[in-house]
Amino acid sequence: MKKFATLLCAMLALGSFVFANGQSESAASSETTLRVGMVTDAGTIDDKSFNQGTWEGIVRAGEDFGFTPKYIKPSGTTEADYLAGVSDLADSGYNMIITPGFKFETTIYKAQDQYPDVKFVLLDGVPHPGDYNVVIRDNTVAVSWAEQESGFVAAVAAALKMPNSKFGFVGGMEIPAVQKFNWGWQQGIKYANENLGTNVSIAQEDCLYSGSFSDVALGQQMAATMFDRGVDVIFAAAGGVGVGVINEGKSQRTSGKDKWVVGVDIDQYADGLMPNGESCILTSAMKYLDRASYDMINDELNDAFPGGTSIVLTAKENGVGIPTENPNLSAEIQAKCDDVYKMMQSGEIVVAAEQLPGLWK
Amino acid sequence: MSAKKNKELKSNNFIIAISAVVLGLIAGAILILIIGENPFASFRYLVRGALMSVRRTGTTLAITTTLMLVGLSIAFAFKTGLFNIGASGQILAGGLAATTVAFAVDIPHVPLIFLILLTGFIAGAIWGLIPGLLKAFFNVHEVVSTIMMNWIAYWVVFYFVPAFLKGPSLETESAGLPFEKTLRVSWLTELFDGSNYINVGLIVAIIAVIVIKFIMDKTTLGFELKAVGYNRYGAEYAGIRVNRSVVLSMMIAGGLAGLAGVAYYCGYSGKIQIGILPTQGFDGIAVALLGASSPVGVVFSSFFFGILQAGKGFMSGNTLVPPEIADTIIAVIIYFTATSVMFKNFWDKRFKKINEKRNIVQKDSNSIEEDN
Amino acid sequence: MDYSIEMLHIRKEFPGIVANDDISLQVKKGEIHAILGENGAGKSTLMSILFGLYNADKGEIKINGKKVEINNPNDATAHKIGMVHQHFQLIDTYTVTENIILGKEGSFILNKKDASQKIKDLSDKYGLNIDPDSIIEDITVGMQQRVEILKMLYVDADILIFDEPTAVLTPQEIDDLLDIMKGLKKEGKSIILITHKLNEIKAVADRCTVIRRGKMIDVVDVASTTQSQMASLMVGRPVNFKVDKSEAHPGESILEIKNLNVLNAKKILGVKDFSLTVRAGEIVGIAGVDGNGQSELIEAVTGLRKIESGQVLISSKDITHVPIRERNEAGLGHVPEDRQKRGLVLEYNLKDNFVIKDYYHSPFSKNGILQQPVMKEYGQKIIDTFDVRSGEGLDSLAGKLSGGNQQKAIVGREIIGNPKLLIVVQPTRGLDVGAIEFIHKQIVNHRDAGNAVLLISFELDEIFNLSDRIAVISDGKLMDVVNTSDTDERSVGLMMAGVSSKGDK
Repeated sequence: MKKFATLLCAMLALGSFVFANGQSESAASSETTLRVGMVTDAGTIDDKSFNQGTWEGIVRAGEDFGFTPKYIKPSGTTEADYLAGVSDLADSGYNMIITPGFKFETTIYKAQDQYPDVKFVLLDGVPHPGDYNVVIRDNTVAVSWAEQESGFVAAVAAALKMPNSKFGFVGGMEIPAVQKFNWGWQQGIKYANENLGTNVSIAQEDCLYSGSFSDVALGQQMAATMFDRGVDVIFAAAGGVGVGVINEGKSQRTSGKDKWVVGVDIDQYADGLMPNGESCILTSAMKYLDRASYDMINDELNDAFPGGTSIVLTAKENGVGIPTENPNLSAEIQAKCDDVYKMMQSGEIVVAAEQLPGLWK
Repeated sequence: MSAKKNKELKSNNFIIAISAVVLGLIAGAILILIIGENPFASFRYLVRGALMSVRRTGTTLAITTTLMLVGLSIAFAFKTGLFNIGASGQILAGGLAATTVAFAVDIPHVPLIFLILLTGFIAGAIWGLIPGLLKAFFNVHEVVSTIMMNWIAYWVVFYFVPAFLKGPSLETESAGLPFEKTLRVSWLTELFDGSNYINVGLIVAIIAVIVIKFIMDKTTLGFELKAVGYNRYGAEYAGIRVNRSVVLSMMIAGGLAGLAGVAYYCGYSGKIQIGILPTQGFDGIAVALLGASSPVGVVFSSFFFGILQAGKGFMSGNTLVPPEIADTIIAVIIYFTATSVMFKNFWDKRFKKINEKRNIVQKDSNSIEEDN
Repeated sequence: MDYSIEMLHIRKEFPGIVANDDISLQVKKGEIHAILGENGAGKSTLMSILFGLYNADKGEIKINGKKVEINNPNDATAHKIGMVHQHFQLIDTYTVTENIILGKEGSFILNKKDASQKIKDLSDKYGLNIDPDSIIEDITVGMQQRVEILKMLYVDADILIFDEPTAVLTPQEIDDLLDIMKGLKKEGKSIILITHKLNEIKAVADRCTVIRRGKMIDVVDVASTTQSQMASLMVGRPVNFKVDKSEAHPGESILEIKNLNVLNAKKILGVKDFSLTVRAGEIVGIAGVDGNGQSELIEAVTGLRKIESGQVLISSKDITHVPIRERNEAGLGHVPEDRQKRGLVLEYNLKDNFVIKDYYHSPFSKNGILQQPVMKEYGQKIIDTFDVRSGEGLDSLAGKLSGGNQQKAIVGREIIGNPKLLIVVQPTRGLDVGAIEFIHKQIVNHRDAGNAVLLISFELDEIFNLSDRIAVISDGKLMDVVNTSDTDERSVGLMMAGVSSKGDK
C-alpha cells in the first residue's frame, strides 16, 4: 500500500513537472531565422563517410552564415527511429532538416507531409513510400550522385598507377549506390585498358558484396583473401567494412607488398596513414556530400531552395570525382585523370549507371 | 505513520531502484554541467520530449512496450535462475516469424493480430528452447548458448528477409507491413493523436505482466520454476524435474521476448531490418535489474527507460546536450542497479540507526522487555 | 589474578536480538577454557568480538591485564590471538607451507625453505605430524585442521580459539585433537574451546563458561561438575542423554537393497555389491568413516544418483530407476546430509519449504493453483509439532533460521507425512544438546509408529544410541550387520577401519 502511494506521488510530481511548462518549443523560434538540423544514419557523426561529409558541409555553412547547427542520433535504424529523430528536431523548432543516406527515403516521404513548414534535404535518395513511386513535396529536395562517374575516374587513376595488375571490389550491401560505384569502377578499368594502354584485369570472384556496412573484421578478411589471390588494388565502397579493407591494406604495405586501397565517399587518405607517414589509399571515389548540404543551405538563404525537385550531382556540377590532391599519384597521372574528368563533364565520356553486358554483378 | 511506528524499517527493492535512478541522474547532471548546460532545464526537456503531447506520449509508450516485454522475459529468467542474454535473438526470431505470417496470411485484422502474436511467441519460445535443452542435458551455460542463438537469428534474418520479404526499394529490410497487418489499430492511433507507433502490443505487454505475476505467485508451475531457480539441488531433492523446469523457463522467457519482437517489428517499426541485432535485448537486462526482476517493477522501469529513450532526442534538440548523455545516464543507472548491494548496505545501516533510536525511546516508555 | 584474556561486561545487539548481554569471560594463562552454549546462544558472537570481526556495543577487553582495542583480525593477531574457524581457510592446491605463510610473506621474495623448516619444527614440537610440503587437497580433514593450528603457532599466537573444532572429525581424529590441545596447554598457551559437546569439555577443559540466550549463566570447574549438570545449565532444564527407547519389534521388510553398485564423482565404484534390508519398526544405523560410500549409497536409494546395477525396493515396489517424486510417493522420507544445499530452498519461506515435496497435489494445490490457506494450516502444524522457532513464523525465510531450527523444520517436514521409510543422514550435525535430544526422540517415535528408519551418522555415539542394528560400511562394501546389543564401539570401530570382524582380511 505504502509503496503504491509513494509511487503515485512520484508519478504526480513527474506529471506536474512536465505539463507545468506546457507552451510549445517551436513558438520560441522566430519565422525568419534558419535553424538547420541533421539526423544521422547508422554510425557516428565522425564516421569518415556519409554522416561526417554531410555534417562538415552544414558546419561550414553555419560558420559562413552564422548559425549553430544540431545533429540528432536516432536510437535505431528503422524508419520509425529516423522519423522520431526528425520529429525531435522539428518539434524543437528546426526548420531545415538534412538527412544523409538512402535509408531516409521512406522517412522523408512521411515527414514532408507531417511537417510542411520544415524544409527537407534528402541526400543520396528520393522520397517514396517504399515502392519507388516518388513523391517530392515543395518543401523537399532529393539529392543523388552519379557514383558511377566517381568510380570510373578512380579506376582510371588506379589503372594508370598500376598498369599491369589485378583489381578487386568490396561493396557493402548490394544497393544501387554501391552497385553504381562498382559498375563505374569496372567501366573505368575497361576504358583505361582500351584508351590508355594499361593491362588491368578484374575477375568475377574479386567483385564482392560483404552484405554489411559495419563488420570491420569481415572487411579485413575479405581484403586479405583478395590480396592473397594476387589482387593489387581494392576499391572498398563499404562503410565500416571498408575500414577493415583499409586496415588490411596498411598491413600489406607495411610488410612491403605493393598493394593499394581506393577509398569511397570522402577523401579517405588520412584513414590509410601508416606509421611511416605514407597512406595505403591510392585515391578516393568521392561524392561531395559537404558541397551538397552547403549549397542547399545557401540556396535556402537566398530564397532559391529548389523544393519539389530531385537533383543528380554529376561531374558537370563538380558533385563527384577524386580528390584534388592525391599524394600517391604522380602529377602526370593526375593530369590524365583531369582530362578524363573533363571529358565526362563535356559528355564525351558517358558512364552507364547500370550493369552493362560484360560487367560483373 | 503512528500505526506503523513499531514496524522495523528495512531496505527494499523500491528504495534501491530509486537510489540507482537518482544517482544516475546526478551523474548525468554533472556531465551536463560540464558541457555548460543547465541540468534541470535539460531534464525537463528530456521528460517533456517523452510526454509533452499525447502523440509523443504514444511514441514513448510504444518504446516502453518492447522494453516491458523484453524486461519481463529477462526478469522471469532471473527469477528462475537463468540469465537470458539471448533476448535479442528471440526478438528477431519472434519478429521474423510474425512478419512472415503477417505477409503470408490474408485474414481479417483482429484474428491476424492474434495469429501473429501466437506465432511470435512460439518462434521466441523455440529460440529459448534450444539453449534450455542444451543447459538441461549437456550442461551448456545459457549465457554462451543464447549468445550463439543471437547470431543464428541475426544471420537467418540476414538471409531470409532479402530472399523472401524484401520490398521494391531496400535490400536491407522487409517491405513495410500495411496498416491492417500490423499491431496498430485505428482507435489506439486516434486515441494518441495519430501516433505512428502506439499499438496493441502495449495491452499484450500488460496482460503478459499480469499473467507472469500470477504464474510466479499463485501456481504450482511458478513454485517449481522459482524453486529450481533458487536452489536446483534442493528442487531436485524434492522431486521437481529440474531439467524440465529449466527448459520450460527458457521457453517462456524466449516466448516473451518473441512477443517483444512482434510488438517491435509488427507494431513499432512495421518492418524488419537485416544486419541489426536489436539493442532492446540488452536494454531489457537493465529494465529487469532496475525492476528487481519483479513483473510489476518491470512495468515501471520499462516506462522510465522508455521516457529516457523517447526524450533524449528532444533534449539534445533543445540544448547542447548530446543524445549520448542520455545513454550515459542509462549506463550509469545500470551500473548502480548492478551494484545495488551497495545501496542495500547503505540503507540497512541508515535504517538500523533509526530503528535503534526508536527502540531506545520505546524501552524508556516500556519497561517490559520483549523476548525474541 | 593472572588472566591472559578478560572480556568484561560485553554487550552486543543485532536488530531485534541481544546476542551478548553483559557477558564476562576470564581465561587464565595456560588453561583450556570451554564456552558452552546452545546454537544461537551467543558464543560465536562473543568470539567474533574477541577476534575483531564485530565491535562490542559495551564492555571492554583486557589482555594480560591491559585494556586493548580490537577492531579487526589484524589487531587480534597483533595481540597474539589466533582462531581456528569451523570452515578452514585454506587454498586446496597450495602446499602446507604456502598456506601458512600466505599473507605473512614479509618481503617480496619468499623464503619457503626457512618457513618450511620452522613449520617442521613446530609440528614436531607439538606432535602435529604434518609434512610442510604436502598439498592441502591430498591430506585428511583432521590434518587440514592441524594446518590451521600451525598457522596460529607460526605467528606465535598465545591465545588460541577453537570454534566447534570436532564437528568435522572422525572419532579417532577427535582423540588426536584433544591430545594436541593438551600439549599446547602444556607449552603455556591459553585455549578457548567453543563447543556444545560435553564429553570433549570433560576430557580437556579446566573451566567452562556457560552461556544461554545471550546471557552468562555460570562459570564452572569442569573436574567437579558432571556432564548432566553442565547440560542443564546450558539448556535451562534437566537433559536426558540416553535415548529412551524400547525393544524393537521389526515387521515386514520395507527397504531392500540388493547387490547395489554405484559410481562416485570420480566415476569409479563408490558402492560395491551392497545389500541391506531395513524392516518396519526398526532403526538401522550405517556406521563408517566419512567418504566410504555412505553418500553415494543414500543418493542412489533416494534417486539423486544413478544406479549402475543392483536393485532397490521400497515396500516391494522396484524403485531402482524411477524418478525421485515416485520414490517419495512410494513412502520415502529423506533428511538429507546437507540441509542448506538439498534440504531447504533458503530463499523460500518456511511455508513454501514445508510443501516443497507436496505442493503439486491436493489439498495443497487445485488445478495448478496453490492453496495458500491449506499450506498455512499445514505449515503451522509442523511448526507447532516440531517446535520450529523463527522470527516471523511461516513467513520466515528458511535461510534466516538457526541451524538447529532448519534441521527441525526438515525433520518435521519429512516425518509429518508418516513415510514408511525414513532415511536420516547426519540428523544432528552441529546441533546442541536440546535439539539433538528432540530430534532423536522424533526418530524413535517414528520407528515406534511402525516405520523403517535408516540412519547415517559419522558419530558413533549417535549410531549406538539410536540404532537397533548397525551396518558397517568400509570402502563402499558392507562389512557386517550386527545387533547393537551384541557389539561395542571398539569392534565397530575396527570394522569401520576395514578390519573384518571375522578376522580375515
